[in-house]
Amino acid sequence: MSGLLEIQRLSKSFDTTKVINDFSMEVVEGTVCCLVGPNGAGKTTTMDLITGRIKPTSGKIIFANEDITAKHEHLIARAGIGRKFQVPAVLRDMSVRQNLEVAYSRQTNPFRNLLKFHKPGLTAKLDEVATLAGLTGRLKERAGILSHGETQWLEIGMVLMQEPRLLLMDEPIAGMTESEIEKTARIFKDLRKSATLLVVEHDMGFVREIADVVVVMHMGSLLAQGSIQEIEADLRVRDVYLGEQEVA
Amino acid sequence: MGNLYHNKIAQWVVYVAFFAALAIIPNMVGDSFLLNQFATYCVYGMLALSISLCWGFGGILNLGQGIAFGLGAYGMAMTMQMQSQTESNPIPPFMLNNSLDYLPLLWQPFQSTLLGLILAVTVPTLFCAAFGGIMFRARVSGPFFAIMTLAMLSAFYTIILDRQAYTGGVNGLTPPSAFQFAGVEVDPYSPTAYWVVLFFLTGATFLAKLITQSSFGLVTQAIRDDSERVRFLGYSVAGYETVIYTISGLIAAVAGCCWVMLVQYVSPAQMDVGFSLSIVIWAAIGGRHSLLGSILGALIIQGAQSYLGDTFLATWLLILGGFFIVVVRFLPNGLASLLEVALGLLARPDPTSSPAPDGGRPLPAE
Ligand SMILES: Nc1ncnc2c1ncn2[C@@H]1O[C@H](COP(=O)(O)OP(=O)(O)O)[C@@H](O)[C@H]1O
Ligand SMILES: [Mg+2]
Repeated sequence: MSGLLEIQRLSKSFDTTKVINDFSMEVVEGTVCCLVGPNGAGKTTTMDLITGRIKPTSGKIIFANEDITAKHEHLIARAGIGRKFQVPAVLRDMSVRQNLEVAYSRQTNPFRNLLKFHKPGLTAKLDEVATLAGLTGRLKERAGILSHGETQWLEIGMVLMQEPRLLLMDEPIAGMTESEIEKTARIFKDLRKSATLLVVEHDMGFVREIADVVVVMHMGSLLAQGSIQEIEADLRVRDVYLGEQEVA
Repeated sequence: MGNLYHNKIAQWVVYVAFFAALAIIPNMVGDSFLLNQFATYCVYGMLALSISLCWGFGGILNLGQGIAFGLGAYGMAMTMQMQSQTESNPIPPFMLNNSLDYLPLLWQPFQSTLLGLILAVTVPTLFCAAFGGIMFRARVSGPFFAIMTLAMLSAFYTIILDRQAYTGGVNGLTPPSAFQFAGVEVDPYSPTAYWVVLFFLTGATFLAKLITQSSFGLVTQAIRDDSERVRFLGYSVAGYETVIYTISGLIAAVAGCCWVMLVQYVSPAQMDVGFSLSIVIWAAIGGRHSLLGSILGALIIQGAQSYLGDTFLATWLLILGGFFIVVVRFLPNGLASLLEVALGLLARPDPTSSPAPDGGRPLPAE
């Protein structure tokens, strides 16, 4: 087993505030890794750094043995990293089907797509993902009118359409009902067979359900790392994070 | 049943019918001056089409389409001017008047008609590819890009005005005889000239239509919707923007060539800011999200200007401006959206299932 994603001594400052501070972690291929931590710990910023949305002040990000630090977003995506944003980001003016279709991005070259009307494998993949996401009956709707839960699912579906090696999920179950959460957990565990997941989540029940490894972040640094049992037994983690969680 | 307006087959039927109707106009219009005027409307239609592709579908507001149009027009005028020069008299008269007694390097390729035509189309196209490439790579977008196109247009205008010995300055170029191709003279008042222009308009429209319905079109539509998101799907937003901006420039360059073939004249006025703005207005009034709507916008407004403009003279611009404001205020997607709404009502008589009134945003599957 080797680290599919390796974050090495990553730092990021906005002006004078250090948001990520000498943070290192590793995601092993074929596992589900949960990144947890209090609000403002820097989890979303870490995802921004991995996907190239912002550039780190220092440190390195290695994906599949390739240095992807500060590369352009689309190149990182093509390398095999798909992302679901914390605030669901779907193409609101387009139909659900079009959202899924555009995410099916095996061919990204503008010239080759110019007069291309048929994408091999699209129909089968779209059926599969739409069924999984429970959106089969909503394909013709404009994405902007979907409910919050459906929007979450659509974006998860888009990430799946990309067929990435590594899926980054920023708070994927926020706003979902109990049964939707259960379904998500099942699917995430299923995905592990073909992909690797890095999931940011607050819901410790959900984390307990899906995580192989849990990484705890606090104020931009690594606080603890280990199995869910180890994390829940860790006193420092209880102190800064789980304490408030258990109450909630 | 869906809205017929979004039915791809229905769209193609309407497009074919529209161009078939335009094609038989010479059989019904005997007046050759009128026919020539209709042909120039087709050129304006081509320009509106190019803006619809770039702005309506690509989301790139381009206020400087006069650059590609003007460069194409100058290239064509230079080619036609050189067709009138002979070996014993190789220098255009205006150069002699500007005491230039040799043919500048810039003009030499235009001695060959074929090379001249190739340059007239490729130079503006390559300019768009380079300018667009630099801008979009630097993520200049929205109003900032629009301002850059405007600045660029003004720069070209000034250079052409200033370099009188090479460009004819404010007088422009007036090639003395009609365009000749492969030994045949294309009389600008003939049905042939009209059909040549219509051929290019039709070709450009069908090409644009295919592009908007292709995988490429889907990605540009996604970029228009949320360019930031599309990057994370693996698409180079700058690449797509550059390509659609360049194709739009290519169409405008061809329009420029057609225009000079019809009017045997070009001047800096074709690169005037006002003219480029009016192209955008045609597309906005016709409906920038509809290729055909934009073309119709150009035909209607330019047609109205020719007939009503003489009657109302000074107030014409006021009327046009007022009309523009009314359309922008009440029909943000132009006259084409009237048809969309009408067909939508036909498709869904049940008011509860009609789409939410969200300011007439384009529905999916345009
Ligand atoms: N663009 C920015 N400029 C300044 N501060 C930022 C910026 N983005 C995030 N931050 C700060 O970085 C910290 C971490 O934010 P974030 O990564 O969103 O936390 P989390 O996702 O773990 O809740 C927060 O304190 C936030 O205010
Ligand atoms: Mg966050």
